[in-house]
Amino acid sequence: MTGFRTRWFSRVGRGDGAVGGFLAHRAGVAGAVVLAVAALVAVIAPLFIPADALDVTRVSDAPWQAPGLGHWLGTDHAGRSVALLVVQGAGTSLFVGLTAAVLSVGIGTLVGIVSGHFGGLAAGVLLRVTDFFLVLPALVLAIALSTVLPRGLGTIVLAIGLTSWPSTARMVRAQTLTIEARPFVERARALGGGHGHVIGRHVLPSVLPLVLVNATLAVASAIVAESTLAFLGLGDPTRISWGAMVHQAQLHGAVPQRAWWYLLPPGLAIVVVVLAFTLVGRALEAVVTPKR
Amino acid sequence: MRVKSSALLAIATTLGVSAAPATAQEQAPTPVILKVAITQQIDSMNPFLAVFQSSTEIGRLMYDYLTAYAADDQRVTEGLANRWEPSADKLTWTFTVPEGKKWSDGQPITAQDVAFTYNLMLTDEVARTANGSFVTNFASVAATDDKTVVVKTKAPQVTMLALDIPIVPKHVWEKVTSVKDYTNEQMPVVGSGPFVLTEHVAGQFIKLKANKNYWRGAAKYDELHFVYFQNSDAAVQALAKGEVDLVNRMAPAQYESLEGKAGVTRNKAQGRRFTELLINPGAQTRTGEPIGDGNPALKDVRVRRAIAQAIDLDALVSRVNLGYAEKGAGLVPPVFDKWHWQPGTSEQREFDPAAANAALDAAGFPRRPDGTRFGLRLIGRAGRAYDEQASEYLKRSMSEIGIPLDVRLVTDNQLNEVTTAATYDLAFSGWATNVDPDFILSLHTCAQRPGADGKGGTTDAYFCDETYDKLYAQQLSEFDEGKRVEIVKQMQARFYDQVPAVVLAYENALEAYRSDHFARFTTQPAEGGVIMAQNGMWGYYGAEPAGRAAQSSGSRWPGLVLGGVVIAGLVVVSVLYARRRNATAGERE
Repeated sequence: MTGFRTRWFSRVGRGDGAVGGFLAHRAGVAGAVVLAVAALVAVIAPLFIPADALDVTRVSDAPWQAPGLGHWLGTDHAGRSVALLVVQGAGTSLFVGLTAAVLSVGIGTLVGIVSGHFGGLAAGVLLRVTDFFLVLPALVLAIALSTVLPRGLGTIVLAIGLTSWPSTARMVRAQTLTIEARPFVERARALGGGHGHVIGRHVLPSVLPLVLVNATLAVASAIVAESTLAFLGLGDPTRISWGAMVHQAQLHGAVPQRAWWYLLPPGLAIVVVVLAFTLVGRALEAVVTPKR
Repeated sequence: MRVKSSALLAIATTLGVSAAPATAQEQAPTPVILKVAITQQIDSMNPFLAVFQSSTEIGRLMYDYLTAYAADDQRVTEGLANRWEPSADKLTWTFTVPEGKKWSDGQPITAQDVAFTYNLMLTDEVARTANGSFVTNFASVAATDDKTVVVKTKAPQVTMLALDIPIVPKHVWEKVTSVKDYTNEQMPVVGSGPFVLTEHVAGQFIKLKANKNYWRGAAKYDELHFVYFQNSDAAVQALAKGEVDLVNRMAPAQYESLEGKAGVTRNKAQGRRFTELLINPGAQTRTGEPIGDGNPALKDVRVRRAIAQAIDLDALVSRVNLGYAEKGAGLVPPVFDKWHWQPGTSEQREFDPAAANAALDAAGFPRRPDGTRFGLRLIGRAGRAYDEQASEYLKRSMSEIGIPLDVRLVTDNQLNEVTTAATYDLAFSGWATNVDPDFILSLHTCAQRPGADGKGGTTDAYFCDETYDKLYAQQLSEFDEGKRVEIVKQMQARFYDQVPAVVLAYENALEAYRSDHFARFTTQPAEGGVIMAQNGMWGYYGAEPAGRAAQSSGSRWPGLVLGGVVIAGLVVVSVLYARRRNATAGERE
């Protein structure tokens, strides 16, 4: 009956149990380490990159240099170092991934809890809207959105966030329904707890771990989505991100130039970070998922 | 077992497919085909409606004009008419269409066809869609007999020998009831040009056959195919593999990737295009109503000059165009060197951010505490390499003078919408110019601005300047070429000084062809000229196939025999294999 709550408090509430549980997942730990490094690089490295090195009007190196001593990942079409571009791009990719995931999970949680808790007409309408977004191919919708709205980072975040929330909403709703069916919620209601009390004190805390896991996994897909949109040329053209790098490499003819060093590093960076988020997400999932 | 035999089959089929064209070539006399890669869509095959470069290019192959531009030096030469005579007052022009020229269906081409075409444009507004500007000044057109056309104009017109209007066959077009709805795809399409349109599948291919009745003589090969590609990367790859014979409009990086490739010859030509940066000078309609939402600061010519001064054109040419361009100046590209204008030392705006900063301070736009003066939007086309890269340069250059740029790269249609609605501050644009500079100059007259409803007119930069307009009217009726050149240059100087747009660069036309299939193409002009996108059809018409005999029969035989033997062997093996398998299966049961 209260088993779930106890486990929740013992694992996440007190902290040490959850951390211990997570540490038991080696892959998850590895992912977390990779993420920590990536985040550190994204935050600190730009401070050390001289402004001129990435300024197309100031660089003086020859374009399309193969990896070598001077530039150990070669140079791009404008003569900028690919290695520095990858480092600089980490910030944008992570930022868009995180904010878009927060937005998407936020919307999803809100819709899920509201529809699960209130039921009736509101739930019907919300669920139909959810279904609508679930059925539409997210990429097409995101492309349409980012075409209509002015170009920029905000648009990309919005486009990803607005298209990827339905699965979270469905999951949170299911979880809300199970929680609300439990006797302790019924007791709270009987003792006079209003909607706010039930949602805030009982449903939300029980749903939160799931939301957390979902958010971690959503970051991974948001990074891929950002790269996809940027690759299709829908991103902010003057901002460096990994997807934008692949886009520019393709646009400026890295393929006919056989400039693999321009295409591969941003691609691998995306793979590594997405993998790390997925590993962490899966490990968290294993820790917090209530086992019956 | 099943896997193995199907694998064998697969190998046999692939070999069969690769050998198939060779076998087909054996049966009929092989048509020699020139395959051209094309990426731009066709808006219409109807010559009265077609405005896309791709469509007018096909139009030039299908229909001759009254006059043509010579391949070697672009001077006016014989088209359908071989003689022309203006009256003393320059208001009446008499053109002679000689006997003996035939439409592709064998009917004679006469002066009646010419008069019919021009009169159709004079009477039907829809027929003026694409080339209306040439006939607005016409008073009347009449064919006095089968050889003579008389054109009367309201005012003297210098472009009478540069009427880029496809002449259509009267016996086909007089049956057309609505020009607007006529697609002109009744194959084969009767025409007067060196090629006849025979097949068109939108977005896939366009096929033309050599016109055997062509009055200059039929082309030296049989068919001309335009094959569609999604992007120029794919087209370049296809050229490298030999799937197409001719590619143009390559990006510098693509062009360089073909260096030293066997069987491929590259052609770096002086293009007739220029790329420009529009600066919204406070857009107004023809009647002076402001439209759009350009930044009001740009109305100040000092601000526009400062912006132009802060752009390092040399750097753009060397880094963005990789040197495959010439630094921009006047509106007419240097390929037309007679009309081309370069600023003198006193007029020249040298790249100088410090002077630009000082000028902006003086103009009353001091830097705010955060170091900026005012922000501007820059609109360009997404997916065009130049815009994507140059916008980065401009963003940096403008931030040097305290103008943060908000770069927005949009689709083709959105870019069109934004520039016609004047909802831009800065925007990338570009034009192809003709032999006669009239058209490109006319784009900047006050009359070309849109009407009150925002429609009509094809202004380029919303420029409206009294001095410029006066000069424009002058040059239009100046028949002394030396004097006209002088006026045209003055106009360009005025444009440069008032900067409603900065001409950034004259891009080289980068082309490449399979020299193992086609030995030679006619370029226009002869020195450093283009093969595609000419003022004419010489590039396609003059193409000469490379040593046909050596290529078609001799060298392919061994391959064919070898392929046949291999296939036969594989078939035998797989049949035996299947039999044995059946046999063993039977025995087992």
